[in-house]
Amino acid sequence: MIRPEQMDRRFVEEILAEPGGEHLLTCWSCGTCAATCLVRRFNPAFNPRLILHKAGLGLREAVLSSAEIWACSACDACYPRCPQGIHISDVMRAIRNLAIRAGYEAPGPAAQVDAATCSGCAVCTRACPYAAIERKPQMVNGQERTIAWVDRNLCQACGICVAACPSGAMSLEAMNDAELLTRVAAGGWLEQPGFLQGASDAPRLLAFVCQWSIRAEEEWERLQGLNDEHLRVVILPCSGRVEPAHVLLALSKGVDGVLVMGCHEGECHYQRGTYLGRGKVALLNEMMAAVGLAPQRVRFAESSALERRAFERQVAALREAIAALRPAEISEVRG
Amino acid sequence: MVDAARHPKITIKAYSEVERVDGYIGNFRAFITQKPRYVIEERCTGCGECVPVCPIEVPNPFEMNIAPRKAIDVPHGQAVPLIYAIDIENCIKCYQCVTACGERDAIDFLQEPRTEEVEVGAIIVATGADHFNPSVIPEYGYGRYPNVITAMELERLANSAGPTVGRLIRPSDGQPPHRLAFIQCVGSRDKRFNEYCSGYCCMASIKNAILLKQEHPEMEITIFYMDIRSPSKGYEEFYNRARQMGIRFIRGRPAQITEDPETGNLFIEVEDQDLGQVLEVEVDMAVLATALIPQPDTQQLATTLTLARSPSGFFMEYHPKLRPIDAPNDGIFFAGTAQGPKDIPASVAQGSAAAARAARVLNAETWEIEPVIARVEPSLCISAQGKKCGLCAAACPYNAIIVEVGRAAQIIPAKCHGCGGCVAECPQNAITQDHFTDAQIVAQMREYLREKPEEKILVLMCHWCSYGGADNAGVSHFQYPPDSRGIRVMCSARMDQDLVLEAFRRGAGMVLVSGCHPQDCHYISGQQVAARRFERLFRTLERLGINPERFRVEWISAAEGEKYARVITEMSQKLASFDKAALRRENEAARKAIMQRLLRWRSLPDMAAVLAEEEEEEKEAVLE
Repeated sequence: MIRPEQMDRRFVEEILAEPGGEHLLTCWSCGTCAATCLVRRFNPAFNPRLILHKAGLGLREAVLSSAEIWACSACDACYPRCPQGIHISDVMRAIRNLAIRAGYEAPGPAAQVDAATCSGCAVCTRACPYAAIERKPQMVNGQERTIAWVDRNLCQACGICVAACPSGAMSLEAMNDAELLTRVAAGGWLEQPGFLQGASDAPRLLAFVCQWSIRAEEEWERLQGLNDEHLRVVILPCSGRVEPAHVLLALSKGVDGVLVMGCHEGECHYQRGTYLGRGKVALLNEMMAAVGLAPQRVRFAESSALERRAFERQVAALREAIAALRPAEISEVRG
Repeated sequence: MVDAARHPKITIKAYSEVERVDGYIGNFRAFITQKPRYVIEERCTGCGECVPVCPIEVPNPFEMNIAPRKAIDVPHGQAVPLIYAIDIENCIKCYQCVTACGERDAIDFLQEPRTEEVEVGAIIVATGADHFNPSVIPEYGYGRYPNVITAMELERLANSAGPTVGRLIRPSDGQPPHRLAFIQCVGSRDKRFNEYCSGYCCMASIKNAILLKQEHPEMEITIFYMDIRSPSKGYEEFYNRARQMGIRFIRGRPAQITEDPETGNLFIEVEDQDLGQVLEVEVDMAVLATALIPQPDTQQLATTLTLARSPSGFFMEYHPKLRPIDAPNDGIFFAGTAQGPKDIPASVAQGSAAAARAARVLNAETWEIEPVIARVEPSLCISAQGKKCGLCAAACPYNAIIVEVGRAAQIIPAKCHGCGGCVAECPQNAITQDHFTDAQIVAQMREYLREKPEEKILVLMCHWCSYGGADNAGVSHFQYPPDSRGIRVMCSARMDQDLVLEAFRRGAGMVLVSGCHPQDCHYISGQQVAARRFERLFRTLERLGINPERFRVEWISAAEGEKYARVITEMSQKLASFDKAALRRENEAARKAIMQRLLRWRSLPDMAAVLAEEEEEEKEAVLE
């Protein structure tokens, strides 16, 4: 039971005084944010409405000690729908600031830096959508060097820095290159010859799918069920995590086409992952054209959690595009 | 409506526009334009034989565009008067209707708009409301998913006189829906669109749910709501009945609707607040309870009749509690949703009340008005001297002042409400307001600032809001320093900049001018007139060498006693921080320039009398 003395009016005032927390009390608990939020797919305990409600009641300890306050990635899908116009991720940030001051820390996971390989080039600091990485002087093997340092309270584990790091120094639990390649190649899938080589009756496709760009739980399960010898689905935390090297590797092993599916521009769960993912594919397409590979074989597609069967439509479209390539120009790397 | 049409004392002018309204309570002259129907009213028998021969079909707005209508038709079956009209924009002029009309010879393609002048004693505005178009809410998919419809569309689909003769079918495949959802608060209680509660929709959705459940007991009906608002007589019992009938109520505002493109079925994602869990509810059809919004031409009518609008856009009543039927202009009354969203019983009640209010006017020989009206001294008005001015008319929220070059401005007493905006705006000081003359106000000021004026805050407050706010501070026992001295005028528009300057000339430490919040102004736009004036006044003070920090403008409502106390406390602290000797030096330096500016004002007969009396006293004081 919650006793009246647990309802701390000062806690409410502290949130209201914190930049971003001003609108806390206008929430009337309609639940629009909770039903919009995609975080609950992976973290069913996360409910922004409940956090705001508890905070509005002044339940200091319950709010500050909860692991859920760190789960909001500020994708702001809820903000344009909120009938009270509350910028919910700002309120979350205000609450987190109070939690940090009270000595709490985000539970993670967070990106990690391998101090020995990090060159301190700062590519990751620019790529990070949350400004969670900075360069700091650190002692490495008895020598002071300025290298990357991750603020785990800000990191949202999108993996964009892992894809960006040219030295392979960034890593993220379960999302490292080796782990991804294992998933792509499981069961020797990568080694089978493809349609463009005349060895298969239908194009063989590899799809990197951002986990936020597809619909609710059962749709995701359905997606896994689509895996067969002609299709391999690899779920990524964000389309910004995709690495051109992985795409090229797949093509060189005989995969006919690669689909990268991310959220619509402006709806990215990690703010600018879509921008980065799409940019990478666009550059890759140019590179492919330059070396004589048909750029149609790699495509970036946008989808959202609002769309049903968007993935099937995109796969069908790519299959069609690849089937149209044959036999006119079977792409070969020149020279 | 048929009874009204047959009544000997009621004339219905349908398909007409009010172009202009002159005059005042008891003596309005309305100019009404009859739009051409291209059908001669006296000859049309309403037989409808012209309709089947017309080859043109256009969407029928009465049927929410679900069904067609012909280019010659009546708006709906029960239309009064039953006169057909040609939709000339869509008519191809095949003249088949002329043939069908035959000997009745009622069709006339040469008809022109006709304007006539009507004398009336009172006006009732009952122009209704419009429906919010939910296609601007992307997450609900209205307009994209055929099976998402609005409550009004449901009304037509379920109506036995509607396009489906009462058989409820869903638009995507014409099949009857078995699972139906009602979504409440679409476009209302939503700061993105309309902040207000439309009020009628809870009961309307429950009504439709009960009707459908009675007819199709096997139908699964779910109502998604944030709060059920059922405060009127018998409403709560009705809501209970719906629950007992097995209609499902889920407390939660749906976040999104998605469609299965193969089946056309809809999935509603919502957090059930009571479970604290997110549900995905599959339904065959969803009905959006859309907000009531003001008619698109509300502003046009507001301009024609000189009416005010509330922040929500509906017409504004004279007083929300004490005069909810009356417009701010005498002799104009409201009925129904033109004044604000409401349900049928409330509309009927307001209609009856408006008729009774109007009857009071029609049966009165004379009409009493407020005694605080403004008067023009013709010899001072420069309009009479052939110059162009008209500042008074521009400030008048009631169109009560007629300005013609070559004649002194004329105030129609029956239209004047006594805000005093014209009095303050007149650069010639040619207008005075009974009971609030400048001399009377200055006499109060003199007493307040007689001793140690530099330690006082002179407050000019409006009668309706800020005076109420100060009163509220008192009755609520809010503590504030005793430095303020308040003078009440009717409206902030009456607060002449000369009065503020005079207060500084008399050495007041600080001056506060305070009126209603813009949307609360009792005199439609008086606050706006005042706000613009005070904006300029800051610059004037600076030029006169008076620290503008000594002048403050605050909008304080009658409920904001706390704000009044806070403002006075803040001003008092600021005043305490000023060096008093420096203040006196500042006043001394500015006095001459202020006197220069107030020369003409001070020479007005009644002002001169007050000032002469004061000089007399001063002389006596010196002698003693």
